[in-house]
This record gives sequence, structure tokens and C-alpha cells, in this order.
Amino acid sequence: MGYEISLLTIMGISVIGALSLNMILGFCGQISLGHAAFLGIGAYTSAMLTKAGIPFLLALPAAMLLSGLIGVIVGFSSLRVRHDFLAITTMGVSFLFTGLVRKQEFLGGEMGIAAIPDPGYGKVGFMLFVFAMAIALTIFSLYIKRSWMGFTFDTVADDEDTATLLGVNVSGYKLMAFALGTAFAGLAGALYAHNVKFIDPESFGFIESITILSMVVIGGTGSVWGVISAAVVLSVFPLWFQFIDDYKLLVYGGLLCAVMLLSPDGISSLVVKLFNKIFKREKVIHVNT
Amino acid sequence: MLTLNNITVDFGGVKAVDNVSFSFQDRELLGLIGPNGAGKTTMMKVITGTVKPTSGSVTLDNTNLNGKAPYLRIRAGIGISQQIVHPFNSMTVLENVTFAAGYIKTNHLFSSLFQTNRTAEKKAAVKLLEILGIADVADAKPENLPLGYIKRLELARALALKPKLLLLDEPLAGLNQSEAEKLSNTLQVLNQQGQNIILIEHNLAEVVRICQRLVVIDNGKKIGEGDPKTVMNDPVVRTAYLGRS
Amino acid sequence: MLFIDLILQGLIQGGVYALIAIGLTLVYGLLRILHIAHAGLYALGGYCALFITEATGSFSLAIVGSMIIVGIVGMAVYRLFYQPILDKPPVVALIVSIGLFIAMEELYRIFFGANGLSYTAAPLQGTIEFYGIYIRQSEIVSLILAFVLISGLSLFTKYTRIGIAWRATVTDPVMAESFGVDVLKVRYLNFFIGSMMAAAAGSMVGLTNNLVEPTMGSIPSYKALAIIVLGGLGNVRGTLIAALAIGLAESFGTIYLGDFFDRDSIAFAFLIIVLMIKPKGLFTKE
Repeated sequence: MGYEISLLTIMGISVIGALSLNMILGFCGQISLGHAAFLGIGAYTSAMLTKAGIPFLLALPAAMLLSGLIGVIVGFSSLRVRHDFLAITTMGVSFLFTGLVRKQEFLGGEMGIAAIPDPGYGKVGFMLFVFAMAIALTIFSLYIKRSWMGFTFDTVADDEDTATLLGVNVSGYKLMAFALGTAFAGLAGALYAHNVKFIDPESFGFIESITILSMVVIGGTGSVWGVISAAVVLSVFPLWFQFIDDYKLLVYGGLLCAVMLLSPDGISSLVVKLFNKIFKREKVIHVNT
Repeated sequence: MLTLNNITVDFGGVKAVDNVSFSFQDRELLGLIGPNGAGKTTMMKVITGTVKPTSGSVTLDNTNLNGKAPYLRIRAGIGISQQIVHPFNSMTVLENVTFAAGYIKTNHLFSSLFQTNRTAEKKAAVKLLEILGIADVADAKPENLPLGYIKRLELARALALKPKLLLLDEPLAGLNQSEAEKLSNTLQVLNQQGQNIILIEHNLAEVVRICQRLVVIDNGKKIGEGDPKTVMNDPVVRTAYLGRS
Repeated sequence: MLFIDLILQGLIQGGVYALIAIGLTLVYGLLRILHIAHAGLYALGGYCALFITEATGSFSLAIVGSMIIVGIVGMAVYRLFYQPILDKPPVVALIVSIGLFIAMEELYRIFFGANGLSYTAAPLQGTIEFYGIYIRQSEIVSLILAFVLISGLSLFTKYTRIGIAWRATVTDPVMAESFGVDVLKVRYLNFFIGSMMAAAAGSMVGLTNNLVEPTMGSIPSYKALAIIVLGGLGNVRGTLIAALAIGLAESFGTIYLGDFFDRDSIAFAFLIIVLMIKPKGLFTKE
């Protein structure tokens, strides 16, 4: 039973992480290859605060706040550069994070931080807490999509120059997406820290950023249910079968290639297409020439 | 209501716009014409703020727009439709216009989060689509629609902003004659109903027909201004157009 | 003397970076794709050189063999992974490339071991000393090889018909095509040349460190990305200058900033600062 609880907890944390990146990449169309750094900020913040005696329920929002703040700063880069350049810049953020943290003794340097305090809910209690957070974020994500903020994000992701000419404060909305996405990444990171009780700079490096990116991209960028499904499967799949764990990254890499080559909008769009084929007939639009 | 004072745009030695001034009176349908490459689109970009003039100023309702970001100028009341169409391809035609219609709701970052209702905007959008005769493609995605439809979508989107001043960059380009006539009739009607319009256009027949006043640009300089008949008979203007290949 | 040593190290490292970065910038210039999988080809070069040397005892043969093999693999990568998605938005190619790169690293790990392989009798391990500075033979060869290959490329694009056609296509594909240039052939050539140079770099680095391991491509290639952005995506000359600049920056930076940053982040810190000041890179495309 204990093993299953661990799996579910990890699953929940991955869902939160993936949904947080989905806000930046999926909703607002800003490519971020450095997302794990923000999980890292959340993790380290919560770890340090709770080790200093601050209660878990206070450390958590503090972690989110710091991640969000630094996220906004990084978000400013998206105002200067786009697409490929933004990809490389955010990749750089990932490396800067690990590079900086490795060298700071007060953060544990290369050895990381161990013996992170347990929040005191017990294994099942913590899992339920994580689930509650994941569900809350899911609801929030779905809500954003339906709101005018989500509508505006769509236009920014689609064509930000045209959005500007329709009166949209593109810079503001991009920063908002980064703020929200990175704050929730901080949440995921903090939960991760208190789950495994040990963190080091390598836990939040470029490969981890790509892992989270995979969940969003394979699931279907922007599709909340697609991202959740992909996060659930990809996070737990390698742990179910121990021997697969060794091939985990190979599978991630292969899947990324396969999905991009075959269905770039992710698996969720494949599912939607299939659904439409079976259950609905194509709506035919006639154009008067 | 809109004044351009001594606008010059210098692109590293090449003067795309050279000391052009003109003003727009309330309720006008003003035509901005000139041969290809004369600087008309650059002028429009100066008004929207996408291009910074090397010197000169743009004033809207006595407010100097210099330094104001493009999105703020749109919010100040300028609606535009671009020469090269840019519909949001990820949304349907109706959604494109609905979004523009919701401009009040998207104004403040935080308040946009708390608004979810799109009913009123959808209604307004449908009305606009009907006025422009493209209501039948409301649920289609712009990607595969013919140019005539997308041009009207651009116009509907701009109108949804309820702009004080509508700037149209070659809305008739790429349309066949009957489409162009229909669209310019619509513009005329809108203007008669009170919509301020500046029309950049190459289709001289329609421009002369519907505009009350013309400003002519050639090689970045203003070479004529006045009512259509007088302007088109001006030898300077005629040479500019005809003396070109 | 420390100063000269730092400069020399900087140039040697810069030469390696240049060999990697040129391949990257060539692909970007031609196809607008960030070819991250290039890192995997670099590592493949290291592995090939090692296997060929172990099998034949000749490192010269190994270098040539490695360059040719990886050149061909590079062309296959284009055909299998990039050609099918050229019409999609660039982010798709970026992610395919990342996926491919991760898969390649993992394959190396699974087949050749995570700890890497070493030469049983590594050639060129001797050290040369002059004026108090010690350089390894392999490092000198590395520098010379970089110089030869890059000059060779330059001459190729100036004086051979194929080279000229290729350069024209990289600068202006549409124009070149209207002149009858076979764009497909140019693309293959592009990938061959870039991959071949990466293989040379990988071979030399594998030899100098006497270690070829699965992740050896990661760090240098991420840096190469930073370099091509600095040099101006698609701009070969700018890339070369940027590569040497980064090599030198790291060399000196490690001494002076080493307490705060680790060596590898220096390139990225440099990049981010420059990009924020000049969002199009230090040089824009010629």
C-alpha cells in the first residue's frame, strides 16, 4: 500500500508541475525550456524555511511567492526575445540555476539539502493534500481557459503583433502567464521537496525541464486534460516497472520525436479527432462566391 | 480630431516619410492615396505607433501620442485593419470578432481573470458579421476562407473595438470589382452613420467615389490635398501616378 | 605567463566550440531549426574515433573515418527527422531535436555504459612545454585541426562551384533555387559538413580527456547554442568570433568568477546579458 501511495503522490506533484508549465507554454504560447528551475526555487525555499522552523503551511506560499517573483523577472526576457531566442534564453536560465545553486554553500552546494522536515500529515494525508492542490490547479486552469484572460492568452499565443493592434497589453499578459506558471511550479517544487526529503541542484536541471516539457507537449499543449493524462502516465509509468525506469529517458526522447513527427498538437488532438470522426459528422460550411 | 505634424521617418538615410502634415476632421471619410511605395503604410504605422517617427508628432483629440505604446493608442480610440491580413487562425471567425468586442474586459489584467461571460460580445459580433455580409462563415476557421471574407473579418474586428477613428490599409486589395464595390458601399454607409474613417487605398475608382477628401503622398512627400475631383485633375498628382511603371 | 596560458586555453577551447557551433549555425541559417541533436553527433564522433583507433591502431584513420561516418549520419538525421516537418512551426522541430538528442544520449549510455570508455593506448598524450606553459599534444592538434577545417570550409565556399552554390543557398534559398541550385543536395551537404566538423571536435575532445561518455555532448552543445545566438543565427563569421570569445571568457572567467558561478554557466550568463541588450545577437545575419 505504501508503494502505491508514493506513486500517487509523485503523480499528483507531476500533474501540478505540468499544469504550471501549461499556463506559460500552452495558454500563452511562450516557450520555456527552464521550467524546472522554478520548481527548484520553490523546493529550496520551502526546504530552507521549514528547516529554520517555519511551519509548512507558511513556507508553501512563501515558496510560491518567490518562484513567482523570479518567474516574472525571467518573464521579462520574453518581452525582448521570442521563439528560438526565448527557447535558448530559458534554457540558459536552467543552467544558471544549477550553476548558481551548486556554488552556494548556504544552499548546500553540490551536496544539496537533506532531512527536509515532514509536514506531519502522514503518508496518506500528504498524498491527499497533494491531490487537493492538483485538483484545485486543474479547476483553476479550466477556469482560466473560459475566462477573458484565457481568451486574451489565446490571441497572444496566436499572433501577438495583431493582438497588440487590438489593444491587448501583450507584455502584461505574458508576465502574468509567467507569474502564474512559475508560482505554481514553486508549489510543485515545494511539495516535491517535502515528499522526497532530499534535494540537490541536479534535481532541477535542464533534463528535468525537458521532462516537464514532454508532459505538456505530448499531452497536447494547451489541453488541460491532455497535459494531466500525459503527466499521470509519464510520471508513474517508469516507476511501475523498475526495469523501464532505466529506459525512461529513452522513452521520453522517443515519444517526443514520435509525437512531434506524427501529431504535433499532442495526443489529445489525436483523441479529439478520433472522437469527432466517430461521434460527430463534419460541419460543412458553405461559402457564397 | 487627428493631426499629423511634420512627420519624418528616416530609415538610415532613406526618407520613407518626408515632412508630411495633414489633419483629419470629425466625421470625414478621408482617403490617403499615392503610388506603390509612397510611404502610406509607413504613415499608418506612425499613427499606430509601430514605427517611431524621426521627427514630428501625432495628436489625437489634443493628446500627443508620441511615446505611447501601440496598444494604448488602440485603447485611445484607433481601430485598424491591416494590408496583409492577420486573422487569428486558431479561432473561428465569430471568435475573432467576439474577442475584439470584449475590449473593455481585456483592459485590466486582473479583471479579465474574473470575467467569463461572452454572450453580449458574441451578440455584438454576430451583428457586425451580418453588416459585413460574412455571417454565414461565423463558425469557420479563417485559414481556408477566400481573401474577400478575411478582409471583411479584419474590418469587423476593427469595428468591434468601437473606434473613434478607423484606419484601413488597402481593405479593397485583392477583391474583385463587385466585392470591392460592395465593401466600399459598406464603408460609405458606416461613415454616413458617423464612423470616422481614414482609407489608404490603391483602388482609385472606389476612393474617388466614396471619399470626401484626399491626401496624396508620393516618395514620402505630400503632393496634394483636397476634394477628389480637384486632386485627381492636379497635374502633379497625375504625373506621379502615370509617370510611373 | 598565466595570461598567455589562459589565452591559449581559451583559444583551444574556442576552437572546439567553433567546430561544433558552425554546424549548428549552418543548419539554422538554412532551415531555421535549432539542431540540438547536433550534440549527439558530436558525441558519436568521439565514440567512432575511439572504436576505430582501438580496431586499427591509427588515430589519423580514426579521425577521418569518424568524420565521414558522422557526416553521413547527420544527413540521415535531416532526412528522417527534419524533412517531414519543415512546414510545421519551428517549435515542432525544436522539440523533435531535443527528443532525438535525449534518445541518442540514452542509447550511448545503454550500449556503451554510463561511465564512458577510454582509449587503451591513447595517442598524443605527451606534453610540450615552452616558456613555462604546458600544452598537450592533442590540444595542439585540436587547435590545428580546427584551423584547417574552418579555413578549408572558407576556401571551399569561395573557390569551388559546389561551395559557391551552397553558400548562395544558405544566404538566400529562394534566389538560389531560381538559379537552378538543387536545394535538397545543398541541405544534405549542409548537414554533412556540419556533422563532420562536430565529429572532429568530439574525436579530439574524447582523446584529450581520454574519456568518451554519453553526456559529453550536452554541455558543449548548449554552449554552442549560446554561441550561435551571440554570433548571429546563420552568420558563420560571427559564430567563429563568438566561439573564440566564449572560449576566452570561460578561461578568464573561471579564474575570476569561479567562486560564484560554475564554469558552464558563464557562457549562458554572458548570453542572457547580451540578448537583453541586443535581442538579435551581437551580429545580425549578413
